[in-house]
Amino acid sequence: MTRRSMAWVIIVLLAIASLGVAAFDDGVPRTEAERTQALAQRFACPECDGQSVADSNASVAANIRELIRSEVAAGATDDEIRDRLLRAYGTDVLLNPPATGVSLLIWVLPAVVVVGAVGALVSIALRRRTHTLSTDDDRRLVDAALRTREWTER
Amino acid sequence: MNSVLGYLFTMVGLTSSVVGALAGFYALRSGQLRLLRMVRQWSWLVLVAGVGCFVVMEVALFQRDYTVSYVQQVGSDSTPALFNFAALWSALEGSLILWVFLLGGYLGAVLYKFRDRGNDPLLGWALVTMLGVSGFFYALLAGPANPFVQVTVPLGFVGPGPNPLLQNHLLVAFHPPMLYLGYVGFTVPFAFAIAALATGRLGEGWLVETRRWTVIAWGFLTMGIVLGAWWSYEVLGWGGYWAWDPVENASLLPWLTGTAYLHSVMVQERRGMLRVWNLSLVCATFCLTILGTFLTRSGVVESVHAFSDGAIGPWLLVFFAAVAGLSVGLIGWRGDELRSPGSIDSIRSREAAFFANNVLFGALAFVILLGTVFPLLAEAYDGTRLTIGRPYFDSLGRPIAFVMLFLMAAAPVLPWRKASSELLSQRLFWPAVIGTGSMVLTLLLGGRGLWAVLTFGLGGFAAGAAGRQVVLATRRQGWRGLVGRTNGGMIVHLGVVLVAVAIASSETYKTDRTATLLPGESMSVGDHQFTYLELGADENDRRSRVYALVEIDGEDIYAPSIVRFRQQGMSLATPSVRTGLTEDVYLVLDGVPDENDGPIRLRVILRPMVSWLWAGGILMGVGTLLAVFPGKRRRGTDAVSAPVEAEELAGV
Repeated sequence: MTRRSMAWVIIVLLAIASLGVAAFDDGVPRTEAERTQALAQRFACPECDGQSVADSNASVAANIRELIRSEVAAGATDDEIRDRLLRAYGTDVLLNPPATGVSLLIWVLPAVVVVGAVGALVSIALRRRTHTLSTDDDRRLVDAALRTREWTER
Repeated sequence: MNSVLGYLFTMVGLTSSVVGALAGFYALRSGQLRLLRMVRQWSWLVLVAGVGCFVVMEVALFQRDYTVSYVQQVGSDSTPALFNFAALWSALEGSLILWVFLLGGYLGAVLYKFRDRGNDPLLGWALVTMLGVSGFFYALLAGPANPFVQVTVPLGFVGPGPNPLLQNHLLVAFHPPMLYLGYVGFTVPFAFAIAALATGRLGEGWLVETRRWTVIAWGFLTMGIVLGAWWSYEVLGWGGYWAWDPVENASLLPWLTGTAYLHSVMVQERRGMLRVWNLSLVCATFCLTILGTFLTRSGVVESVHAFSDGAIGPWLLVFFAAVAGLSVGLIGWRGDELRSPGSIDSIRSREAAFFANNVLFGALAFVILLGTVFPLLAEAYDGTRLTIGRPYFDSLGRPIAFVMLFLMAAAPVLPWRKASSELLSQRLFWPAVIGTGSMVLTLLLGGRGLWAVLTFGLGGFAAGAAGRQVVLATRRQGWRGLVGRTNGGMIVHLGVVLVAVAIASSETYKTDRTATLLPGESMSVGDHQFTYLELGADENDRRSRVYALVEIDGEDIYAPSIVRFRQQGMSLATPSVRTGLTEDVYLVLDGVPDENDGPIRLRVILRPMVSWLWAGGILMGVGTLLAVFPGKRRRGTDAVSAPVEAEELAGV
């Protein structure tokens, strides 16, 4: 094992370890205030064009923040708070569209497009690979051209 | 007087755009290239008309000429000069004047740059396309969005002035023009792409001609977006800079496709691949600028930017459909000639990295487009009312952004065609050390959170790769190692890393507290102590202001305020921000008491490293300037993809 590959092993191990430490201690809200804040970021202020309850200065947002705070203090779970807000304000309070009905599309379509694009790329790359440049003469010409370009660009 | 003059310039602009475009079309179809001289003359006239419209409207604004309908809408006796100047783009009709003014400017720049290529059909078709676009916008100005209508002035009229949000901060003078310079600038590469399709000169010629134009438009758009984020942060008082508002998204969409294009174009230049894709990206970018204008200016979406004026919505939608249809049609028509000769040899090559880059930028653009227009479509389909906000864009955008950061580290060190493991291990070594080092450092400093730490790691990795490139280039070439497309591009990458780090830390380590305080009372947030001293007030003939004096850590005194604009009867909570290298302290007055010694509601937001975002934006702008810095003169030709004599090659 060369010195560089040993160094690489150390780098990769250190990176994995760091991510592990970071993830172990990750964003789980500890205090009630933090939990209120985290929850407030997940709901929309019904009157302010898609701003979250946490961001908005509108009075309705302040009311919802207060409601979340009191529910958190009373020990309600996240789902209970969500249901409570849904009953009080309707679906306008959801920042994240539900994965049902028409709005399921908004989650499915990106996946379909990404998978499709990657698939198309891979298939193009594979198909092209089977009949690439035909003769050695072609190859030489291309290499000469590339050399010329690199030379002139320098 | 101003109405008549303004309308006259509008009609000159409309007539010369239409006549010029038709004359050019005829000349090019019939092969009478001498007639193209006429097109150039009409184009100059379009520039004159654009400048005319702009100047007349500014003069009318400064003269408080309320007989002009637009001045009656946004002018006022009490608006200060700077905001009065910026009032031109503070509503729908005026922003169209800015549009035709800038388009005229780009037209003039193209005419000047290509002044010795007058009879070239490629230039001819490009001019025809640009004249067609300007004809459309002049038609809007002449008809449904005419700002120069002559109206009677009510007795004692002093004018409402622009929207209070648009006369509250210096940045309104810069953000919209920058953004429009970007939007409108993409007309140039689009026009040359259409010209390439129309003439059948589909090689790399048109690309090389327009690449600097594209980079410049991209740079302006970047600055426009960053300045918009800054404005939002300094003015709107919510402590954030990006709300995933439909109109913000609309500005990001052409930026994403434009960025994808700036990268994929290099694959075509070097390897002759991706011709259809590049043409599509250029056309898509232009289409998205029109779609963005539609979203902003038609009132179909609820947004802080929407002027909610429905008159021109259908026009813009029709224009969008026409441009998209024309692009798709032309590309389909030339499809056979667009087959590209090259292929990818290895996944570990720069071209493969650019392919992946394009998939990612395309996917991100798709996600944002979907999230932006889906609520509209769903409501039209079955009346469902949806809000799609930050969690959606975060959850889909974040993974894409991480892979992008990784590619930003790997791609610059990858050679074309194929890289060996040995080479990668050598070139990526120091970047990897920097990346891992920044993760370890974050943990040692007490930073936690998987997403943030991962961003710092990948950011350090990418910065290392970009920095390595810059260091090598400057060592070899001196100061010239900082200019040119590749080196400037690396500076832009460094700016992107700063932006990514700023977003990650300011989102992850944000603290947000609201408290009710009586004079003399204190609250502590994070490591800071905030003491509310007293309430103050002042006023002038435009606005009245109530401010709270708040002492931070017993040193600095800041004054978040609530400003009430008289004419509009609208109040704004104007934040007071202590900007620092590592942390911003953001104070907002949520509520003021009726009596002076009553309690205030004070909101305190601590956001680390927000200023890195602006620094990163500025660095991206600087990098763009360096990238277009005129280097050695090289004239683009079509020769790269045209048949070349073997001796000619071997002879060099």
